[in-house]
Amino acid sequence: MTYTAEAFQNEYLALGATEVNAIVTVTSSGNTTGARTGGATEVIIVDASGSMQAEGRITAARQAAKAAVACIDDGVHFALIAGVGTAQQLFPAPGQLAVASAQTRAEATWAIDRLHASGGTAMGAWLLLAAQLFAQRPGDIAHAIMLTDGDNGERVGYLESVLASIGGKFTVDCRGVGTNWKVSELRKIADAMLGTVDIVARPADLTAAFEQMMTAAMGKTAADVQLKVWTPVNATVRFVKQVEPQVADLTGKRVADGARAGRYPLGAWGAESRDYHICVDVPPGASGDEMLAARVSIVEGDTVHAQSLVRAVWTDDAALSTRINRQVAHYTGQAELAETIQAGIEARKAGDDHTATMKFGRAAQLAHESGNKATSELLATVVDIEDAATGTVRLRRKVAAADEMALDTRSTKTVRVGRGQ
Amino acid sequence: MTDCASCADERAAGAAFCEVCGRSLAPEPACPHCGTPGGVGTDGYCENCGMLAGRERDHLETDCGEVAAAVTDRGLRHHRNEDAMWLATRGRDVDVVISDGVSSSFDPDVASLTAVSSSGEALGEGVDLATAIGAAQVSVAKLAAEGDPRRQASNPACTIVAATVRGDSVTVGWIGDSRAYWVPEEGVAEQLTEDDSWATHVISLGADPEQAMRDPKAHAITAWLGADAGSIAPRTAEFVVGDPGHLVLCSDGLWNYLTDAAAFAAAVREGLREQGTLISAARWLADYANTAGGADNITVALVPITPLGITPLGGEQE
Repeated sequence: MTYTAEAFQNEYLALGATEVNAIVTVTSSGNTTGARTGGATEVIIVDASGSMQAEGRITAARQAAKAAVACIDDGVHFALIAGVGTAQQLFPAPGQLAVASAQTRAEATWAIDRLHASGGTAMGAWLLLAAQLFAQRPGDIAHAIMLTDGDNGERVGYLESVLASIGGKFTVDCRGVGTNWKVSELRKIADAMLGTVDIVARPADLTAAFEQMMTAAMGKTAADVQLKVWTPVNATVRFVKQVEPQVADLTGKRVADGARAGRYPLGAWGAESRDYHICVDVPPGASGDEMLAARVSIVEGDTVHAQSLVRAVWTDDAALSTRINRQVAHYTGQAELAETIQAGIEARKAGDDHTATMKFGRAAQLAHESGNKATSELLATVVDIEDAATGTVRLRRKVAAADEMALDTRSTKTVRVGRGQ
Repeated sequence: MTDCASCADERAAGAAFCEVCGRSLAPEPACPHCGTPGGVGTDGYCENCGMLAGRERDHLETDCGEVAAAVTDRGLRHHRNEDAMWLATRGRDVDVVISDGVSSSFDPDVASLTAVSSSGEALGEGVDLATAIGAAQVSVAKLAAEGDPRRQASNPACTIVAATVRGDSVTVGWIGDSRAYWVPEEGVAEQLTEDDSWATHVISLGADPEQAMRDPKAHAITAWLGADAGSIAPRTAEFVVGDPGHLVLCSDGLWNYLTDAAAFAAAVREGLREQGTLISAARWLADYANTAGGADNITVALVPITPLGITPLGGEQE
């Protein structure tokens, strides 16, 4: 695969300034043949707790799981887990992985028909079983889909300890069906496992959601891509965030690589493009000094695929140092948008309408300014936007739970800024 | 340093280069900022402190002996040298071009280098000065559509001053505020160019010159090379030298410390008198600007010219 990494920044700093910001756009052309060169393993986890009987969820989940199995490419290893009070392997035999073929896909489909909803919810146990299955195929692109409709029933802290032990070993895309699950719980899993989280309010939409996730997974051709950030002595990385297609803070996932560098996991890659916001604190320089604030590389093991330089140049020319970089400003706004929405939702839940109105007002303004139409529309389901430009909103008295959960899960979705500005 | 197995032996034997892989065995230079030995990486930044060790264009000299000399220097306050120069000689004939990148444009250092090389090459092909400056405008304007997309929003731009010396006739052409002076050995020096700048404009309308030059807008130029320059009209001046003297071209990094032609001439004469060679006099002038503050990039070119029929200048004649 060929990768490119391009930094967008205003490298000019006023005298005394020490904060360096840059947006690094990483683009991969994907494999020339579009095919994986290594292996891939898929695990589908379907919640089979008793509550899944409601609203025809289990029937829809069966259909969705079948649709996802149909999307698995020949040769890919896969397994199905039925999520109850423990983790039960639905297909193939316990502890084994199947190799996708017309035959095994058909067998998996029959197995799915045996999926019945009766039991509890034990997400930590489900993920642990998935981790054991993935462990059989080190080096594979490892991806799981996890569907649930409720709260985790395990003792407090168990899920966290499982996530700490399996974080970074595979990717998990989480979907919640209905409105009786917790966004914060699934977001915790998605964040730790570099995946996505979304609501599927109507069971009928599950099939499309599963197909979309599995198709995207099949498009990945590299398993474990990392962002390596080198910084000079006396400089520190304040944060590394993915900011497009969605906001994800990677700062805490740093693994030291020598004295001056750290690696941040980016998960699996296909032909795609993502943007990262890198913020570095450096010692101040004198007028005319130029410093390399960060050397940002896209790496896979010892292979460096692409590199980009983040620079700092100190100047007493205010015309240069006050220039606003469009990319940095745009994504700073998008990250604030996500944080503001989540703060607004929390305030509303806590009954603090004043704070909620302020937060949603600011969010409406940010979404409007940045042209994030999708987020504007989601906000409009929770508040009446009277004037987006000034951020004047009124809380709606009745808000559908599904709408608020959709706003919450999708608040991290960002839009790209026009280039060359 | 190097992975070549033979290098160690060669180095032990005191060789400067490895006989096997051909690489230099001299220790890699220490970082000029933090002193880390071998600290400077292949991209020019120190692997320890991250500071840029230096750029090729930070200080360049062109020494054409007694015929001409030019020096360009980054100065003290700018992080890179956005000035560029071109000096070509054939016998005592000289083509010289100086360009100063507009700092507020994107990639001004590329603009200035493009301007001097395209006009310099055109002069070498024998075109007249206005045509050569026209060629520079075409090349610099093209830059906006190439390379970094940010060039489209703030296209690369620069000034230009160029001169040809053919025997004792001199032609000067310019756009912007880079200057040419005639500094005779004795008598009154003359600024040959008139800045395309805000200060010059208001002075011509009757403003007090000293006050105008102190205005923050003084250096704002009213004409330049670049995609947004529109149709350019380079101004030119021609003259035949009557008395021996020096043609001096420079960017505002020098003349800003010597705004008055008489003061400028006094500095040039002092430099020539104190230094034995043209190149060292040019270096002395760049140092002069750096001592005065080095607020901008500095470029200066010196071309001695003698009227035909008079023996060319030698040091002993002064």
